[in-house]
Amino acid sequence: MRLILEVWRQASPQVQGHLEAYEIDDAREEMSLLELLDRLNHQLIEADQEPVAFESDCREGICGTCGVDIDGIPHGPEDNVPACGQHVRSFNDGDTVRIEPFRAAGFSVIRDLIVDRTGLDRIIQAGGTVAVDAGTATDADALLVTHEAAEAALDFAACIGCGACISACPNGAAYLFTGAKLQHLALMPHGKMERGRRARAMITQMEHEFGPCSQIGECALACPANVPLSAIATVNKERLRALLRRKDN
Amino acid sequence: MSSPTADPIPLAARPAATPAPFPPTWALKVIMALTGSLFVAFVLFHLAGNLKVYIGAEDFNHYAEWLRHLLNPLIPGSGFLWAFRAVMVGSLVLHVYSGITLWVRGRRSRGNHPRKFIARRLSSRTMFWTGLIVLCFIIFHILDLTMGKLVAADGFDPADPYSNLIHSFSRAPVAVFYGLTMALIAFHISHGIWSVINDLGGTGKRLRSVVFIVAGVVAVVVAIGNLSIPIAVQAGILAVS
Ligand code: HEM
Ligand code: SF4
Ligand code: FES
Repeated sequence: MRLILEVWRQASPQVQGHLEAYEIDDAREEMSLLELLDRLNHQLIEADQEPVAFESDCREGICGTCGVDIDGIPHGPEDNVPACGQHVRSFNDGDTVRIEPFRAAGFSVIRDLIVDRTGLDRIIQAGGTVAVDAGTATDADALLVTHEAAEAALDFAACIGCGACISACPNGAAYLFTGAKLQHLALMPHGKMERGRRARAMITQMEHEFGPCSQIGECALACPANVPLSAIATVNKERLRALLRRKDN
Repeated sequence: MSSPTADPIPLAARPAATPAPFPPTWALKVIMALTGSLFVAFVLFHLAGNLKVYIGAEDFNHYAEWLRHLLNPLIPGSGFLWAFRAVMVGSLVLHVYSGITLWVRGRRSRGNHPRKFIARRLSSRTMFWTGLIVLCFIIFHILDLTMGKLVAADGFDPADPYSNLIHSFSRAPVAVFYGLTMALIAFHISHGIWSVINDLGGTGKRLRSVVFIVAGVVAVVVAIGNLSIPIAVQAGILAVS
């Protein structure tokens, strides 16, 4: 099938980017979006042109490396599926498909479809890790975690850190991402020990680079890990808890 | 190293170009939620009073009078009313200040590529605009029916709120403006109540579903209840006897 791809080309962070149209004659329904870009790049290389720079790694929805806006929708038209899992069958023969990098002020374009997502790393660095001395290994069953808590923690730990929630957000907010991490760790025995301090540090860092949440809910539709929308409420819940409790835990 | 201890986690180096916003976003959101909830409570209370218009002029005027002397003799004269007005105006200033600040921050954090795709309800995307129109309405409404200045109907009589209301709504443009604003307030309230539960940290599944429904119901009740009054006046069901 034939597709027109309008792809964002930008050689470096310093220059203006623009959309450039390319034609693909032999796209197949079962191709993933990334394979479509691979196809385009083959074509470009054969024609002695610069291939389109984009990121990917696992190509099976677990690493969070891929991510582009397809017709303005992070990852693509299907809800809750990463770009590597989206397929060409979402389009019709002859369609024009616009492929842009993730968009937010906090994500500057490095090259073509690759954006700088280190802002997410800085939120994690601020407190998204467990930094307590847990002592020598105790019996596995000495620290009880209920089945419900474990399941709930997993729902939020599922975040693969792709950044789609931010590109989806009309405010460029990172609440779903930050809330997912806060909620995940707040449910775990060691994570709980620094719950208050973590909330203060991560939320402050989040506010440095990303916007406010207006409860619009675009993020949870884009999220390839199906992080529940309640994560956006977790942010203020943890912050208010830290405020009232005035403790590190 | 006996009991597990927690070492402080250093805050990541601040990117110089992006200082932490002040006041913090989370605090502004909590202010929005508290002041917004106060407004919702007031709007509902106000609606209940407004509906007395259907019982009759005397009852309605009595309600307006009662409102003026609420909590007498605890607070003398119309002291309560003034204290109440101070709280409302203060809250409005905070609500509008926070709303505008958050809106500006959102635009800035979004950057040069505004998101056009709208998957969710229109109400959430229009909070700022419905809010601004409601603000204009509040000013108009107070001039019209409380102070009787500038935009008020001819023959405004501070002692007869009922007649003032009928006279005001007999003017077609006012009735239409009032009706439209009520629809917008309903939009604002429906997304507003949903925002409150998020801003105050409501994460429970059942709580969130209940609040989502309550938000819609309150919005519809406020819209229909208040809308009925200008319609009734225009239709001649309510008139000065
Ligand atoms: C009858 C009057 C009003 C009522 C009942 C009301 C109610 C609410 C409520 C309950 C919220 C949710 C607060 C939260 O974030 O938790 C809200 C949000 C908001 N209000 Fe109002 N409001 C009123 C007037 C106004 C006015 C005059 C403005 C003027 C700008 C305004 C602007 C906003 C904005 C921009 C938000 C969204 C904030 C965000 O989530 O980013 N509101 N309102
Ligand atoms: S919350 Fe979802 S959309 Fe956001 S970074 Fe994590 S996986 Fe990606
Ligand atoms: S490439 Fe790993 S999630 Fe898409």
